[in-house]
Amino acid sequence: MKHLQGWIIWLFAFAAIIGLPGAVWHQASAPAFPWAALLPMVSLLVILGLAAPAMAASLGPDGARHRMLVLLEAPPDFLWGGLMLASWPSTWGPPGLAAFGAAFLIAALPTEVRWLCAAMPAERPFPLAYGTAVSRITRRIVVLHLMPRWLAARVPLWLTAALILERIFGVQGFGGDWMHRISNRDRVGTAAWMLAFALLWRATRIWDRR
Amino acid sequence: MRPQVLILLLAMASSAMGIAQTVEESFARDPGPLDFIQGEGFEQAIMQALAGDALVGLNAQNQVVPRLSDRWETRGNLLRFHVREGMKFMNGAPVRPEDIAWTIQEIQRRQDASATKRGILQGVKLTVNGWFVELSSPKPPARLLMELAHLPVTRKGHPDEGCGPFSMVRRGSEWTFTARSHFLKPKLNTIHFRLISDEQALLQNLQKGWLSIGVPPARNGLRPPPDMVELRQPTHAQLIVFSHAGSAPLQALEKWRGEAFPVNFFNAKAQASRGLWPETLGFPLMKIQAPAHPSPQSQHWELLYSAGDDLVQKALLALRERARRDGVDLEPKPIEAALLYQRLLKGEFQLASALNVFDPHPWSVLELLEPNGPMNFCDWKDDAFAGFAAKLDSPQSPAWHELQKIWAAHPKALPILDFTSVVWVDKRLKVEPSPLGLYLTTPGPSGWNWLK
Repeated sequence: MKHLQGWIIWLFAFAAIIGLPGAVWHQASAPAFPWAALLPMVSLLVILGLAAPAMAASLGPDGARHRMLVLLEAPPDFLWGGLMLASWPSTWGPPGLAAFGAAFLIAALPTEVRWLCAAMPAERPFPLAYGTAVSRITRRIVVLHLMPRWLAARVPLWLTAALILERIFGVQGFGGDWMHRISNRDRVGTAAWMLAFALLWRATRIWDRR
Repeated sequence: MRPQVLILLLAMASSAMGIAQTVEESFARDPGPLDFIQGEGFEQAIMQALAGDALVGLNAQNQVVPRLSDRWETRGNLLRFHVREGMKFMNGAPVRPEDIAWTIQEIQRRQDASATKRGILQGVKLTVNGWFVELSSPKPPARLLMELAHLPVTRKGHPDEGCGPFSMVRRGSEWTFTARSHFLKPKLNTIHFRLISDEQALLQNLQKGWLSIGVPPARNGLRPPPDMVELRQPTHAQLIVFSHAGSAPLQALEKWRGEAFPVNFFNAKAQASRGLWPETLGFPLMKIQAPAHPSPQSQHWELLYSAGDDLVQKALLALRERARRDGVDLEPKPIEAALLYQRLLKGEFQLASALNVFDPHPWSVLELLEPNGPMNFCDWKDDAFAGFAAKLDSPQSPAWHELQKIWAAHPKALPILDFTSVVWVDKRLKVEPSPLGLYLTTPGPSGWNWLK
């Protein structure tokens, strides 16, 4: 039972969801799970999951103090969303999924690259002393080790935090679904979400061991 | 000859464009799947009003008008409806009295059916007799008749299939309603809804011309874009304060609500309530008649409200400042909506506010008074109530006035704000506003048309 402590925490989370206090006055119909959003959201997460580690491997631990990344990370995602919506030409019609995806990546990438870079060990004096080729290999190994923990920690966050951009661009996604289930006290639906996050955590543990 | 042909073609094209022009609209939240049995909520009601037909409808003047039933009669407590013949569901199947019976029985039978609809049909007995449907109820027939306007009929065994003037197709976060052959003869071809939950995003969509209709945020100084017009319509929605601390806080609030809000404080979206019950439902203005309490100075009253509602927060903060001048510490306390409702149900509050949309008939205020009424959070009771309630057989009954007087003697709730619907509409689109909004009346969107 190597992961007992982790499962105990997840059990507490389940108990919190099932016992969530509150009642809904004018109970609205529970929306169906947004299956149509599955492919676009997974695609975005795959792009993020590949681009962020690749950029982190390229920048190394110095990326954590990269001025441009810090500058891009500072504005909250609603600012990027609002900016994109405001600058979208009215003759093009309302922006849809593409604009949502672009705003999501602009908001998420700098933060994630810096998160990964900050978690990388220092390279001076070693392995940099052995040359850039060794340093590149070391970074690759480090990023591969960081990825499962990073995914387990950040994917649930991005899935739910996409809510703000979903609301701005009128896109149906997982953030909205999560929020709707909480506000409507759909305890079973929210517990299913929690189970999905717990399974993601478990899957990343297996990857980490390998 | 050629220029004439060209002009003719252009005229035909522009006329075709006029007919085919789509009304662009938005939903603030996902209404869920179209379901005439389980569906609940404002957005769901709009979908059902477009894709379904109730036995009767309410027009913009709040009068009962024919819909699926072309005529009806009242015999004592019995309502007898004749079902309009020739009506068809979306799949082409004819509408039969059996479908109406199935809809009503299914709502009564299923525990997970819409709570609003179950409330309407409580105690209703149904008989089908040829093309006639007969309903009897302990409620006054006039009340049941008005409530039935919110109960669209679905095809037997298919809770998602209506016979309304528009057919619906959903793709992701977009809903398209297309006009169909119907006795209301919709003049519009298509109404297209997108999901826009964010107020600021909605405003940008309106300003960029991507929406034909929209509700602007409640901000001072906002003006509609040049190609839109602002429509204002009082609604039956009120912000109500419930009191578990006796009538003293309500008496103080009754005074403060008239003095706390400067002119145009809510940008026409709300104004201070004046009476005890909604004026829009025809109730005369009345003041609290309880014995005057000593000055409430140095009192501390905690007032719960639903977090995240900017307009309500602004109103309560203004009331707090007014209360301070009288030496009262009124403390508005935000709380998550579901937690607030739980505390209202359990009575665990001193003062609590909630936004309520009354049904468009006077009987809806009984929710505040009836034992176990859905809004009788403070357990209001009066020995004289049952006697007056039995006499409320019509909206004009003098018993309403007597009932309001006994409520005024020891009220447990007081309205603070009356809400007005402020909608921006494309200047070329002719719509008919009503206290029920734009969609929930008859003919509703079927009567809209594009001006040439």
